[in-house]
Amino acid sequence: MTLVAGLRAASYGIPSQPVAGVFGSELARVNNWKTIVDPYTGKEVYAIPAIRPDIAVIHVNEIDELGNARLYGTPFWDHPLTRAAKRVLITAEKLVTTDRLREQPELTLVPGFMVEAAAVVPKGAWPGSMHPYYEIDYPAVERYLNDSDDALAAHLAEAPEARR
Amino acid sequence: MTWSPFSYIVINLARQIRAREVTFSGVNSTLPMLACLLAKRAYDFHFTWINVAGGVEPQPVKIPHSSSDPGIVAGSAGIFANQDFYDLCARGGIGLVYLGCAQIDAEGRTNVSTIGPHDKPKVRLPGGGGAAVMLPTAQRVATWRTEHSPRALVEKLDFVTAAGNLAALVTPRAVFQRTTGRFRLESWHPDARLEEIIERTGFAFDAAGATPTALPTAGELSALREIDADGAFEREAAID
Repeated sequence: MTLVAGLRAASYGIPSQPVAGVFGSELARVNNWKTIVDPYTGKEVYAIPAIRPDIAVIHVNEIDELGNARLYGTPFWDHPLTRAAKRVLITAEKLVTTDRLREQPELTLVPGFMVEAAAVVPKGAWPGSMHPYYEIDYPAVERYLNDSDDALAAHLAEAPEARR
Repeated sequence: MTWSPFSYIVINLARQIRAREVTFSGVNSTLPMLACLLAKRAYDFHFTWINVAGGVEPQPVKIPHSSSDPGIVAGSAGIFANQDFYDLCARGGIGLVYLGCAQIDAEGRTNVSTIGPHDKPKVRLPGGGGAAVMLPTAQRVATWRTEHSPRALVEKLDFVTAAGNLAALVTPRAVFQRTTGRFRLESWHPDARLEEIIERTGFAFDAAGATPTALPTAGELSALREIDADGAFEREAAID
């Protein structure tokens, strides 16, 4: 939540974002977070400094040639991430027509004017899931967790984009 | 029928839920996910269950392996995603949040950051995942450990990730409760002895009024059988 407060500060164009809680946590000390006093109530709150990523990369269901990116299912952190970052890159499961996106514009999470570049990468979320197209590949995750020297190489070789 | 270590944790986590409140389960929280699913089946009262995948009152036909699998949204009529549930908690709107811990102390502070010195840790843990905000802002937080030992239940944490409204701690051997100040023992596994609980707990606690934990009801057991029909969750949890 403190991470999101930092992303929100960046997306709002302000230097820091007050956040609830945090009192009693040593995370404040190790991250050098400071409190401010709310000018209206006098209440003390932690203010988390803005986090402005150079690049956000998100994976979506559908994209058109203008970069309009549609997501199905839960957006998790995709909204604050794409608003906070200086540049936005998209990978997508499918290329679709702009007319299709016009049918339900509210499903477009990132409008094309914000998108610098995109790639169509079917199965790009593997071994994670992409609702509603495919589920988590649990056996692949377990193989990757194997503590052997070649587990990473084997995982990369198994990735959909490596096998095309 | 008595308890297994697995049924003891899941059912005692479910027993923390109160009627009409909003309950939240998060990432890496399979036992709380099962507790919410169990409570929906076993208890004759309404509560709202939201989860980290954005599910609101989901009704999954197939219960996923991971508590953050998008499959746990199935059957929801609305999506209430990350920003929404964190903000709801921050403004005091969540009655019960399940938050994990590696270490916990007598005053319900948790460590999910590092074991050993913070700047040179022996073990680096996954981190708070919002705990520093949720623990002090949720109305009540319940936590669990699958290991009841002096290294998990400690007098002094290696690092304080979060502090606040910890209300219940469930282990395979005991249930502790607190409102303010220190935990008190509420009940212990009927196969355990109170001396054993004291020996295996790294912090001192008040045991006045504590009793052996009430056995699972027929409704709780049949709900657990329904959600873990083939016993896969119990095997995976591998709790001693």
